[in-house]
Amino acid sequence: MIPLLVACPLLFAFLVSLFDVLGVRAKITRFLFLTGAISPWIVFFGIREKVPLDEIVGGYAKTAGIQVSLDYINVYFMLAELILFFAVSIYSIEYFSKHRKNGKIYSLLLLMHTGLLGAFISRDLFNYYIYMEIASVSAFALIAISEEKGAKRAAYKYLILSLTASYLFVFAVGMIYLKTGYLNAELIRGSILPSREIDVAAGIAFSALLLKAGVFPLHSWLPDAHSKAPDPVSALLSGIVVKVPVYGMLLLYLSLPLTKRFLTVLMVVAFASIFFGIVLMIVERNIKKFLAYSTVSQMGYVVLGVSTSNILGSVYYAFAHALIKGALFLSVGALIRAQRSKEIRNLSYRGDAILMLSILILSLAIGGVSPFVGAYGKSLLFEGMKKPLEYILYIAGIGTLVAFTRLNYYLLKSRENFNAYSLQRMPPFLLSLLVLALGVYYGQRIDYMDFVLIVSAVIGFVLLRRSGIIEKDIRYRFSKTVGEEINIFMTVFLLFTLFLLLQNF
Amino acid sequence: MINAEIAGIIIMLIGLYGLMTKKDLIKQVLAINVISTGLVLFFVGMGYVEGGEVPIMPQQTVVDPLPATLMLTTLVVDVAITSLALAIILRMRRDER
Repeated sequence: MIPLLVACPLLFAFLVSLFDVLGVRAKITRFLFLTGAISPWIVFFGIREKVPLDEIVGGYAKTAGIQVSLDYINVYFMLAELILFFAVSIYSIEYFSKHRKNGKIYSLLLLMHTGLLGAFISRDLFNYYIYMEIASVSAFALIAISEEKGAKRAAYKYLILSLTASYLFVFAVGMIYLKTGYLNAELIRGSILPSREIDVAAGIAFSALLLKAGVFPLHSWLPDAHSKAPDPVSALLSGIVVKVPVYGMLLLYLSLPLTKRFLTVLMVVAFASIFFGIVLMIVERNIKKFLAYSTVSQMGYVVLGVSTSNILGSVYYAFAHALIKGALFLSVGALIRAQRSKEIRNLSYRGDAILMLSILILSLAIGGVSPFVGAYGKSLLFEGMKKPLEYILYIAGIGTLVAFTRLNYYLLKSRENFNAYSLQRMPPFLLSLLVLALGVYYGQRIDYMDFVLIVSAVIGFVLLRRSGIIEKDIRYRFSKTVGEEINIFMTVFLLFTLFLLLQNF
Repeated sequence: MINAEIAGIIIMLIGLYGLMTKKDLIKQVLAINVISTGLVLFFVGMGYVEGGEVPIMPQQTVVDPLPATLMLTTLVVDVAITSLALAIILRMRRDER
């Protein structure tokens, strides 16, 4: 049954592209697209009772076949994907309705759906890679489809860096296969012996996945790609596509013997990513780039969960972040669409109570304030963490809240009347209600510590504003061609890989 | 003696060198293809068994067929992405003009 989750959207992707070429009316293509987007839900409800579930595709022996599973590691990734994609598909019906090539866009979106679901159910490293590639290839094409200036350039940078990382990942998988004879994560775990080759493979694979997850210092493609993409695609990219590499890291973590030192280095990288994202958020003026830098910062938290051997924390945090960031991109997208600007200072949500409420809820949720679902992810992430690290994370939480206070300050300040499309307002609003409902469902109560955090964030914002850092126009601009940028990023990537490799010697 | 795996790794490194030093976009796409060729050689060499036969009929010793099959899939991905990259480069040039 599990493979059906992936097969349904794939079938509908094919049908949508076929009907589009045949010139069938747009209504029918739209209907097929929505059916394809919902179809995995039906399968998911069918097997929901039986989780945890294991299956070898085609009924082969475990050593020969491809294993797919649904259990505590991936069921929340699946849920996040299904919920977010559903919201995005409704949003994109309105968003792409004027677009010339909307049949192609719908089939690419469904292909991305397929790739994401396929990667999340996979327990076989190579199968995981293939589905990750399906999702990334559709992502490249969907970014390139955007009419905005610089979108093609962003898509190209993303393509080259992500593809190189994929090849290095496959190379590492090959080394693991050479040493163990298996590609299945559980079988690898059973037959692996610590050796130098495995250390090298782990270093290369993690470095490749960190690039695909957009963690500092390998984030350089992310802000451009996520901000230039069409708004619903940005929501998918920042919400769930960057979670696929995290699932890969969990698979590797569960199957390879990673050394203590390696995990410590990973933790340092995660903290660097958290703070780097926050600092750039505070000075960024483009609202979509602001959210993209917030993704860099939040991915740091998720990787932190992996590095502290806290799988549950990482999974729940990724789940919360997927919903919150997806909804944020959708609601900001509705603002941008209605007011035709991307500058934080020119935008305003005062004219629309629904969007205002959802952005406020989501801003609090992303800072880890209870009773929202972000707080639950954060509390799981904090479990078993040493005291000094916990304090650093509190500071990071305040930093995130300062950045989002700034966002809300500007959105409140200017007043502009506008009309957002209702199909664009509802999905983010429902998602933000879900963020609240899930938080309550997981037993989050209002915590007085959070008031301290919010108050200190507001004070921090006021101080920063007084000092004039926020108002300043800080812009660093590469006057470089795309080719030169790729050269630099690639050198950074290889140096980072080398650095990870040297940790085990 | 140099074997196929080492040769594959060296070819991959040549491709990476290309990505680090060449500014021309077409050359970068070619460098990616060089990496993938090295990867295929590495995998095929990995499955090779000294004196092994084609793994079609049950024989004494056969080479490991799995790496070669995996590489078929990787080659498909490679072809698709190369065409996509070239298309994006064309559109990018049109934009900048």
